[in-house]
Amino acid sequence: MKISRRELALSTFLPAALPSAAPAQEPEDPKTELQRNSEFLARIRVAMSVEPAFQFKA
Amino acid sequence: MAGFSEDLFFASVAELNAKLRAREVTARDLAQAFAQRLETAGPRYNALALPLTRQAIRAAQAVDGEMKRERFRGPLQGIPFGAKDVLSYAGHPTTWGARPFSGQVFDYTATVLRRLEKTGAVLAGKLAMIELAGGGGYRSASASLFGPGLNPWDPAHWSGGSSSGSGSAVAAGLVPFALGSETSGSIVTPAAFCGITGLRPTYGLVSRYGAMPLSWTMDKIGPMCRSAEDCALVLQVIAGGDSNDPASARKSFYFTPQYYRKLKDLRVGYAPVDFAEWAHESARPAFAQALQVFRDTGAKLVETKLPAFPYNILARTIIDAEGASVFEPLIVSGKVDELADPHQIAGLKAALGISARDYLKAMRVRTVAQQEIRRLFAEVDLLLAPARPGPAPRVSEALNQHRPETDQWKDRGMSELIPAANLAGLPALAFPCGFAGRMPVGLQLVGLPFSENMLVAAGREFQSRTDWHRKRPPL
Repeated sequence: MKISRRELALSTFLPAALPSAAPAQEPEDPKTELQRNSEFLARIRVAMSVEPAFQFKA
Repeated sequence: MAGFSEDLFFASVAELNAKLRAREVTARDLAQAFAQRLETAGPRYNALALPLTRQAIRAAQAVDGEMKRERFRGPLQGIPFGAKDVLSYAGHPTTWGARPFSGQVFDYTATVLRRLEKTGAVLAGKLAMIELAGGGGYRSASASLFGPGLNPWDPAHWSGGSSSGSGSAVAAGLVPFALGSETSGSIVTPAAFCGITGLRPTYGLVSRYGAMPLSWTMDKIGPMCRSAEDCALVLQVIAGGDSNDPASARKSFYFTPQYYRKLKDLRVGYAPVDFAEWAHESARPAFAQALQVFRDTGAKLVETKLPAFPYNILARTIIDAEGASVFEPLIVSGKVDELADPHQIAGLKAALGISARDYLKAMRVRTVAQQEIRRLFAEVDLLLAPARPGPAPRVSEALNQHRPETDQWKDRGMSELIPAANLAGLPALAFPCGFAGRMPVGLQLVGLPFSENMLVAAGREFQSRTDWHRKRPPL
């Protein structure tokens, strides 16, 4: 699937400085970490036309 | 067997091949010398998973017979090598570095090993690795059936993971080259920590048939060697289409650096913050000198940075979700508790609960990230960054120390190049560029898919101006 430059620009919303992506100082237990990642992913908006990445060929 | 000097154990593939063809040594001599050295010194670094000395000598004798009849099969003919224990070798144990699989034996051989054997390369032994290549997320160098990978430059330090044994065996001159595998950092990291050159190929260029699956959309197999040129010679043999690998790109690789542009004609993207701030203080002088070497080649250094995406979170979600599916029987049966690293056990168990929603979201964001990264290459031909920000940590340290909260607003530069490039399926060359104290540090070059010749040509030019790749640890 190809998406245009314009679609791409409109396709994602990422919180400006990715504050939640910066991990805590102490290692978290994996469940907490996955939960935090899940919440972070939920906040990213992706255009409906964007399909999952399955092709990685040139 | 000829009495070999230490120089021979650190010779390049091309140098060894020249000696074989000139009949200064026989393939049997080489196999015996390297296999015995691997068997003797390998355990010193917890690098050896399975010695194959007898088989190697037998195979080498057959190679000698061929060479006597002047049947030359290429530069790897008669060259001993080691393979990460992630690869199946028919009739022999393949443990994946994990206790629950310590008795596992396959009746088929991985495509890459078959290709190497066909060209006359001689498998001297299988090499240790982090259990399950780190699936689930490990926090300790001891996360391996074979114990922590110890670094030949200083055994108090880690050799890196997950291709730990491949890194230390090449660095210590136990094998001329080795195979490693990378899902996100497993070739680049031990190459940087051990002061060797590693090539992570484009996703799909090298068959994964017979390799332990961890993440179907991210796993790659690649060479770990003494130089960029050696990596190319090995890649030339192991690359190529394979109907047994559904992800195979059905492309070959021919080493033709003479047709590629010199560094003076290339735009090399780098982020100054990587070298000035993200890099450990002890490594900054080496990185600064290496940058100067690139400048001296005439390469146009262009300031750049990665598009803003949560690469670590994307990679973690995808690898965890795919890995938990692969290892579902292990996790559900409870045998996962036999792994060495408690964090990894907990990680695999937790990963079973990743929702389809999260996995697909990560894969969709990956699509957009991949296209944005590709767009970056309109401005540059290659990306350059520290392979790791600093030297190998001590074995006793917890790994993956999280960044302090104060870093969260800092310019990220290309500090997440490893997960970013792995998500996008891009190739990388990691190579040594100096020392931090007595431990080596390295750089990585990343290019567009199937740009391995450009990467190797650039790496070779750097290595023609420096001798870091020829340094040997004090053994």
